[in-house]
Amino acid sequence: MGEYKLLLEHSHDPAYATLAGYQAKGGYAALKKALGMERQAIIDEVKASGLRGRGGAGFPTWIKWNGIPKDKKGKHYLICNADEGEPGTFKDKQLMETTPFLLIEGMTIAGFATQGDAGYIYIRGEFVDAAKALRKAIDEAYAAGLLGKNILGSGYDFDLYIHLGAGSYECGEESALMSSLMGERGMPRLKFPHVPLPTISGVWDRPTVINNVETYTCAPFIINNGGNWYASLGASTKNSRGTKIFSVSGHVNKPGNYEIEFGTSLMDLLEMAGGMKGGALKACVPGGSSVPIMNAQQCDGAIIGYEEMAEAGSMVGSGGCMFLNEHTCIVTFIWRTAQFYANESCGKCTPCREGTKWLLQIMERIRSGGGRSGDIELLQEVCSQIDGRSFCGLGDAAAWPVAGAIKVFRDEFEYFIEHGRSIVQSAESARMLPESPVVAVS
Amino acid sequence: MSELLQLGSVNQRPQPPKREELTLRFSDAAVKELDALRTHYPEEKACVLPGLWIAQREYGGFLDGEALAEVAYRLDRSYAEVEGVATFYSMYNTAHRPGRHKIEVCTCLSCHVNGAYRVWDYLKSKLGVGHGETTADGEFMLEEVECLDACDRAPVIQVGDQYYGPVDDAYMDRLLDELRASPVNTVVQMADSIVAVQVTGPEREAAHR
Repeated sequence: MGEYKLLLEHSHDPAYATLAGYQAKGGYAALKKALGMERQAIIDEVKASGLRGRGGAGFPTWIKWNGIPKDKKGKHYLICNADEGEPGTFKDKQLMETTPFLLIEGMTIAGFATQGDAGYIYIRGEFVDAAKALRKAIDEAYAAGLLGKNILGSGYDFDLYIHLGAGSYECGEESALMSSLMGERGMPRLKFPHVPLPTISGVWDRPTVINNVETYTCAPFIINNGGNWYASLGASTKNSRGTKIFSVSGHVNKPGNYEIEFGTSLMDLLEMAGGMKGGALKACVPGGSSVPIMNAQQCDGAIIGYEEMAEAGSMVGSGGCMFLNEHTCIVTFIWRTAQFYANESCGKCTPCREGTKWLLQIMERIRSGGGRSGDIELLQEVCSQIDGRSFCGLGDAAAWPVAGAIKVFRDEFEYFIEHGRSIVQSAESARMLPESPVVAVS
Repeated sequence: MSELLQLGSVNQRPQPPKREELTLRFSDAAVKELDALRTHYPEEKACVLPGLWIAQREYGGFLDGEALAEVAYRLDRSYAEVEGVATFYSMYNTAHRPGRHKIEVCTCLSCHVNGAYRVWDYLKSKLGVGHGETTADGEFMLEEVECLDACDRAPVIQVGDQYYGPVDDAYMDRLLDELRASPVNTVVQMADSIVAVQVTGPEREAAHR
């Protein structure tokens, strides 16, 4: 199967980022339709669509929308998680830069369905171009009466604000994002069942819907064409419906965002991205740095779907798909992954704060040629002590790539420890190596 | 109190200015922008992050104690709280005074496998500075950063609010020359861009009238 462009259909048309251009392509028909529907009917369409959160966790979107109290007793808020920080992922950036109105319309529909008073788009600080495109679009939407008071004469009021982060991967975690939005350090908070769900008590202790950029942008298509139509996409998979944007990078000839229908094979995705560059396929990290790495054998025949990818040994994640060629040293790649998580751990809980540093120290020891026998078991032990024991998902996400790589590429780790150098030796692989150790190892 | 507990009483850290000694440096436009931002949130505390961006612009790209103290004063928060927030986020310059341009080099996964460490080596030797350091002429600060999420352009770098990539040595030579010749302070410009996208068009216009 090839590309299936739904969200990205007009992303190459600069006019689509203007209100006139967006409306010329049918924009805002969905909002008009939604404003004439019962609120519950909108949520039911989203339920029928089978839409699952596109930020990485794959949680059914309708459950979040449906969880907002129907008898409104105060403010309801919406948050768009645009703190895209997962290494390998750059889809939300493109969506915001090229299709800002899709996001605005999607959020307005979600806001209407959940009686939201205001929405906040939390964008990572580096994405100034994306924020500029959204600023322009939001200002245009206000001027046209598509945001603000009495939208399209429906009596519904909805305000939309942009809030920028300031450099923290952890703020992509939903409770940390809410902390950050409220003006605090971006650290995660206690979660259900210890405290109520965000739909009951989220930002400023009010009912809050929080979804990813890509999730919101699906809403206009679901309302326009019906949930059943959307669910017909990806029907060949177990429980993944619609389309998904994959950000393909690494050693491919045409890196970029590719939108596919669920059920497409991973190798088809590689073909869309122009195939491998500089050597044969060795490994793939299909869903952002947090997901387990796959070898070429696992990639062959892997079908893209939440359950299907789990069967193949990895995850859909956020769709940051990195293909690696034969010159890649997996040990060095995992060392760099470990460095990322050690740098980005917020420091709140012990398993993650200490564990990510230990993983990095052991990886650094191996990578610099001082690996000891038993280091592999030590890495596995530390991973098992982080996984499931950290305060939020960052700890799990730090453990999975290391534990996953040991499972699939154990021979490379063993070779590196035994010989003090990588199993991969070529001019091309030398280009990837960091020259000097980044952390001191005791 | 026992002597043991008193040992730590000599504070060697630079103290923030006391409120009554504070020299407020926010421009009129900055004050108006902060006022506009207050209307966006149900609680004033939410303005701490946007307020720090304003301060980073108003104080020339570096958040020293005075800058943090002014944000704390204007938002009625404690100095410690604002300092705690500011130091959590990597894009607020609290540790080092950046040069006129902050060169942020991504060496994370996709960039790493596409040769980012060679770009990093080249920049370190060309500029003669390491991670977090600024050149003697105050032009460039070099920083190794985590994923910038522009992996399709790997190896990618960010200067101010612009991304550049894929870059190589020749590309960096050209870019550094351009930046040196440009009169713009991209660190301040970036902070200004970030403030500008958070206030609405009409709010921005009213503030800078």
